[in-house]
Amino acid sequence: MKFGSAERKERKRIRRFGLAGTAVLLALGVAACSSSSSSSSSAAAPASTGPRAGGALTVFEATGYSGDWPDGLDPATNIDGAADQDYMDAIFGELFELGPKGAVIPDLATGYSISSDAKTITLDIRPGVKFTDGTPFNAAAVVTNIDRDLKSACTCKPTWPVTSVTATGPDTVTITLSAPDGAFIDEIFDSTADWIASPTALQKMGEKAFALAPVGAGPFEVVSDTLSSVLVLKKNPTYWQTGRPYLDTLTFKTVASDEAGYEALLAKEGQIYVDMSTPSLLQQAAKNPGVEVENQLSTSPYDLQLNTKTAPFNNVKARQAIYAATNFGPILQHVFDNMYPPVQGFTGPGGICYSPTVPGYQGYDPTLAKTLVAQSGLGKVTINLGTIQNLVAEETTEALQTEWAAVGIKTVIHAYALAPLIAQFVSGKWQSMIQTAGSYDPAAGVGVGFRFSSVSPFSGVHDPHLDSLLNQAAALTSMSQRCAIYTQAANYIASNYYGPFYFAFAPANVAVKGVVGPGLTEPLPAVVVTPTILWEDVAYGS
Amino acid sequence: MAVAEGPEPGAQTGRARRVLGSPSLRLAGRRLLAAILVLWGVTFLTYVVMNLLPGDAAQELLGANATPAEVHQLEVQLHLNEPFWVRYGQWLGDAFHGSLGTSVVNGENVTTILGTRLPVTAELLLYAFVGSIAFGVAVAVLGSRRPNGVADRLSMIVSMTGLSIAPYVLALVLIYLFAVRLPWFPAIGYTSLTADPFQNIRSLTLPAVAIGFPLFSIYTRLLRADIVEQMQREDYIVTARAKGVPPWRVLLRHALPNSLFGLITLVALNLGTLVGAVAIIEPIFSLPGVGAILIQSINDHDVPVVEGIVVFFGAVVVVANLLADLLYTALDPRIRYERAAS
Amino acid sequence: MSALLPDLLAPGDPADAKREPRARARAGWARALRLWGPAGFLVLMLAACFGWPNIYPVPNPVRGSVLQAGLPPLSPGHIFGTDPVGNDVFSRILYGGQISFEVGFGVTAIGLVVGGLLGMAAGYWGGAADTIISRLLDVLIAFPALVLALAIAEGLGPSEVHVIWALSVFSIPAVGRIARGATLALRGQTFILAARLSGTRGWRVIVRHVIPNIAPQLMTFSLLGIGVAIILEGALSFLGLGIPLPEASWGSMIAQGQQTLSASPDLVLIPSAFLFATVLSLNLLGDALRERWGVR
Repeated sequence: MKFGSAERKERKRIRRFGLAGTAVLLALGVAACSSSSSSSSSAAAPASTGPRAGGALTVFEATGYSGDWPDGLDPATNIDGAADQDYMDAIFGELFELGPKGAVIPDLATGYSISSDAKTITLDIRPGVKFTDGTPFNAAAVVTNIDRDLKSACTCKPTWPVTSVTATGPDTVTITLSAPDGAFIDEIFDSTADWIASPTALQKMGEKAFALAPVGAGPFEVVSDTLSSVLVLKKNPTYWQTGRPYLDTLTFKTVASDEAGYEALLAKEGQIYVDMSTPSLLQQAAKNPGVEVENQLSTSPYDLQLNTKTAPFNNVKARQAIYAATNFGPILQHVFDNMYPPVQGFTGPGGICYSPTVPGYQGYDPTLAKTLVAQSGLGKVTINLGTIQNLVAEETTEALQTEWAAVGIKTVIHAYALAPLIAQFVSGKWQSMIQTAGSYDPAAGVGVGFRFSSVSPFSGVHDPHLDSLLNQAAALTSMSQRCAIYTQAANYIASNYYGPFYFAFAPANVAVKGVVGPGLTEPLPAVVVTPTILWEDVAYGS
Repeated sequence: MAVAEGPEPGAQTGRARRVLGSPSLRLAGRRLLAAILVLWGVTFLTYVVMNLLPGDAAQELLGANATPAEVHQLEVQLHLNEPFWVRYGQWLGDAFHGSLGTSVVNGENVTTILGTRLPVTAELLLYAFVGSIAFGVAVAVLGSRRPNGVADRLSMIVSMTGLSIAPYVLALVLIYLFAVRLPWFPAIGYTSLTADPFQNIRSLTLPAVAIGFPLFSIYTRLLRADIVEQMQREDYIVTARAKGVPPWRVLLRHALPNSLFGLITLVALNLGTLVGAVAIIEPIFSLPGVGAILIQSINDHDVPVVEGIVVFFGAVVVVANLLADLLYTALDPRIRYERAAS
Repeated sequence: MSALLPDLLAPGDPADAKREPRARARAGWARALRLWGPAGFLVLMLAACFGWPNIYPVPNPVRGSVLQAGLPPLSPGHIFGTDPVGNDVFSRILYGGQISFEVGFGVTAIGLVVGGLLGMAAGYWGGAADTIISRLLDVLIAFPALVLALAIAEGLGPSEVHVIWALSVFSIPAVGRIARGATLALRGQTFILAARLSGTRGWRVIVRHVIPNIAPQLMTFSLLGIGVAIILEGALSFLGLGIPLPEASWGSMIAQGQQTLSASPDLVLIPSAFLFATVLSLNLLGDALRERWGVR
């Protein structure tokens, strides 16, 4: 063993120790100092009325749904489009926005008209608007975008039966459809066509680069983008609405869960947590005086889908047994603290045509359930009950499992992540799934057709009569007529026991006191399950 | 392990010839070859495992509304319909030319993805390792000076705790105590080194402690046990003491260096568990490293990204073990000759 | 290297001999306590987890009634309270403990048998066998077992047996290396040489001489390994890839409890405490046995 090497080792060890020790001291010192400097990023709010201009805001979103954008933020290729609406809205703005009390707010479009046969839609584009790269935002740009969306291979593309999209003026776009669609505008909120990208930037950067640093005409523009992790945006100086956005900087950070987001909020690392659904945390947050919990208006009730194509639920008595075996009242009370209203159909209080009860709906009847279980042979099999990996969904599922066991129905639970869940549906081997059905307009997006029409891979129902009802309702322009048909549809679903509905779930947005805006201090109807926030109107203030 | 002290015998002239033909160089060559083989084995095994998973990336990408025709079209486009050996051969060939392919999910270059995420993970692991080794050595030395003394017993209790606690539990406790209750460190998020060095260290401290504390516990126990054994049993220690060498010098100059063998082996061995550690810790702290996307990539069947990550970690483990082996051999002549002879 | 040598002639702590009788007796009591304390706790835990539910009725660990959701600890009938869907936490701790012990012992047993045999073979015969086996073990060590665990969980569905397979990828090379090193060190000793010279065949030498001598070392290492396996099972369940819902496992209880940490911290603290205490006892027991058997 060499003499010198021992010395060298000793010196190296002491150096390492010194380095480590310094690092620790540094960390502690920095931690002590920075706890005071961190407050500079969140503006101290003096008592004042109304929103104030300026400030930087950090928003947390949970991974697994809205916190992920692995494919980038190009409207035509972002598969998670609906989930990523917060980012898309902030960067691209929207043609039309869904505002408080269900008002349709013209944002980058100024108006629309639908022909009496509901096959031609004219959109008026806001004049004089520019994308953040200076190029003009006009009808031509909108047409390019919608064409591109329709041609893309993405499953996120709009499902309208479009025959042509043309610019019939510098600021007018005409869309012709091969089948009538009275719900077109309602469907826009849910669709990637609502987000218009700069065609020039797309051309110049190429699709891949564009997806990582998108250019739009919304209230904010991209500063930096780390996929599914951090998105930093800054105020768009040429935004069409003067005085908006209020904020200078908007940062989105992805966190692991509701709890992580809430802790980060408490640790003052951010101001808003979007889409909190954990009941016990909501109760905890409600008790916290420094925090404001805003429950959104539900547009998508939780329901149980039954696969009518395979056993055991191809048997109508088995389906009815499930209806009779479920007593949702106690679940609502004990698991969800009665935060959400029970419903028997696919409409929610935040959407159109809301009708919580369905006449003749099969309610809780354990004796009848046991009889039906015996008659249909349901008690002899073990049912696969699936759901998404999400606390609310999982808790609902477990509670149902307990209730059904009391009448002799045996289940095994599978909680899937989004991708395997999709695979389950596509394979057709699923038996029952707890999901959400419904949307602001039942004709739109994850609406009724998504779960109950025969053409949707996510549906367990294949009934031409139901299909025709839904298509009819979508085609009409008169709201009262449409609602009448949707009521018929809900009745039809109930009388065929296609799937029970449970409660009109709506997640909440949690924000620290001193931040105001639609979706934060006043409720908004949810566009697609998760809450919406109109970022240009968000500000510090009171 | 008794090793004679003193300057190495041998004239200078024959040195060159001896080094070139030396058994240690040949040994190093053999070891290098073995290391490459092992690395290849790891990539191959990963490819096999990923292929055994049901479904494929095209299905995951296109999601639900895709017709089988659309899925097939994408499969052809992504070369997913080609047989296993062709695809693996393609990947291996590309890898040799320095290209790790593109992510199946978003078309981004795997090298770019790794390039942005690896520095975060690497810094975190470096922080954890340096801290755990430095503290481990320091505490072990302090404790073994007086075995069963106050410092020793205290260090034993602390390290026993570290051995028995799960990293994910530790992470949760640390966040609750030092981020929420006492705002000393951020609960989540990462600031890059170039943006703000102070915040960077701050944002990595809690995760590094969550990973490093169990490691520290293992290292300090092993080292302390080794040193104590050296001090009590080995003849050369007795000799040194009899010669009047002060106890600290005996500890630091003689017992410690010889005890480091066990530590080196253990550190190299531990590296293999890193992937698991970061996959759990990074999401808890929302750090944008490779651990955070590993699980997602496996779920998405994004084989190139998974392979890229596996190659990196596999290389780290293999290289570290190789270095440890070589260090071993270089430092202990007995092993060198024994191995060369066998 | 010295870490791998079983020193059978160790006289125990040499400092002992210098002490006076009463101090030596106290040291003896302390040593006994260090061994029997953790051992006793482990026996208690095993009895509780496997025995109690069969002797004394406990509420169901799964399918709890939703009417009892979210009760705090020390509620009547639920000493540790209930989780958000009404399952009794105490019962879940017991059943989760069953899973932890089963996985821990299973993984370690596989490691001991497979890894031990491979390591002994490599160490005893050397040469080509050694090279092949060592490289194989190297690949297993370098291979991210997490990827394998994830793949197994996703491909075959999460279950206890799959978890044991996945975690064995960790335990086999670890035990293998120790066994190989110990066998190598033993091979040079005189009595082994004598046995071989007297004509005893390879496997007999291994069974009669190698195994009994490296057993203490492998045993104490394995005790540590059980603790590691239990923590790893918790990690897999934490990631959602271990024991599937709604079965209880300490890891999945921690993962679920973590999601409501601010609201009900006891849902994390209780399983964490049990996890910690169990692994701690295993480690302390391993330490005490190492001390008793003079293993390094």
